[in-house]
Amino acid sequence: MSWEPTLAHYLLIAAATFSIGLVGVMVRRNAITLFMCIELMLNSVNLTFIAFSKYRVDLDGHIFAFFVMAVAAAEAAVGLAIILHLFRHKKSVNVDDAAELRY
Amino acid sequence: MGFWEPLFFWIFAIGAVGSSLAVLLFRSPLYSALSLIGGFFCFAGLYALLSAHFMAVTQVLVYGGAIMVLFVFIIMLLNLSDEDLGARRFSLHHLLAVGVGVAVFAFSVISIWAIFDHEQVDAARLEAAQAYDQALEGTGEEDAEPAFLLRTPSRVPGLYADLSEASLSEAYDERLDSWEAGEGDYADDKYDRFDPTRPMVLPPALAEGAQGPAEDINTRLSDHRSGGSLFGTIEPISILLVNRFVVPFELTAILLLAAIVGAVIIAKRRLT
Repeated sequence: MSWEPTLAHYLLIAAATFSIGLVGVMVRRNAITLFMCIELMLNSVNLTFIAFSKYRVDLDGHIFAFFVMAVAAAEAAVGLAIILHLFRHKKSVNVDDAAELRY
Repeated sequence: MGFWEPLFFWIFAIGAVGSSLAVLLFRSPLYSALSLIGGFFCFAGLYALLSAHFMAVTQVLVYGGAIMVLFVFIIMLLNLSDEDLGARRFSLHHLLAVGVGVAVFAFSVISIWAIFDHEQVDAARLEAAQAYDQALEGTGEEDAEPAFLLRTPSRVPGLYADLSEASLSEAYDERLDSWEAGEGDYADDKYDRFDPTRPMVLPPALAEGAQGPAEDINTRLSDHRSGGSLFGTIEPISILLVNRFVVPFELTAILLLAAIVGAVIIAKRRLT
């Protein structure tokens, strides 16, 4: 790999952070940390979009990444509200304790 | 070829990957949140290196300033003690998860490698380096560092493998010029105002009542191209958002409204 960053460098960084976020979603039991790993995956996808956008000299990637960011913000708000509500009932944020569909 | 751009790229790249590992490995969610904030700043730095100036600032404001504030607030509110967090134990499940992660990463590496026709990219870089050396011949600077290449095509048409800042400015200015002159690929008419009576599939030159270049000074992009490129700045992105992408824009506004109302209702205690 050359020292100078090319498109492939940015894509590999995004792929690495995506895989790490994926492993985090599968391994972590704390709901909040799980959520943070999801945000990490969304960020890596944003990086992919913006890298391709520069190397195609086209701003569509920026627009898509902007919408991904907006949706991630909305999802974070609602998801954390759900986690908070669940905590009040189960007294725990461990996802294993919320494994059944009944309350 | 600068020294600072690659240096900052590697700092931000290692920071991003390192902070993601830290998010994965820390037991306390607060430490994970703090390392994720650091990671978001590294991502913003990577966006700035990719000339995505608006997205870099938005990343810091939205992710660092709103989403992570919310996360830290919730973590502090829940106030979990060490016993609640659970003991760390290793199991087959963790090993399988890491295996799946490595498989996904390997698949990505293989597909990224396949995008580039490496012989063509190397040949183009060599040619550009030779052209640079030839251009410098006769002047006193033959030993200068070879310029990093301009535009190196990849295997995918329209996609460059390498692109320097100067070539990015040049290529983007060409696109803006062709747009303002009314020429160019018809798919580039995304900057035009959304006109439902106009058929979207015809090229602008053939459409009924084709619009000419904008005459009004207020509808032209600001003319500061002598200073730098407009790529990734807020002006072209805002034009896109209210012209071509106005429908997703408005739908996102509705989505955010629904999220606000939903979050408030879900999180509030009963009033009885």
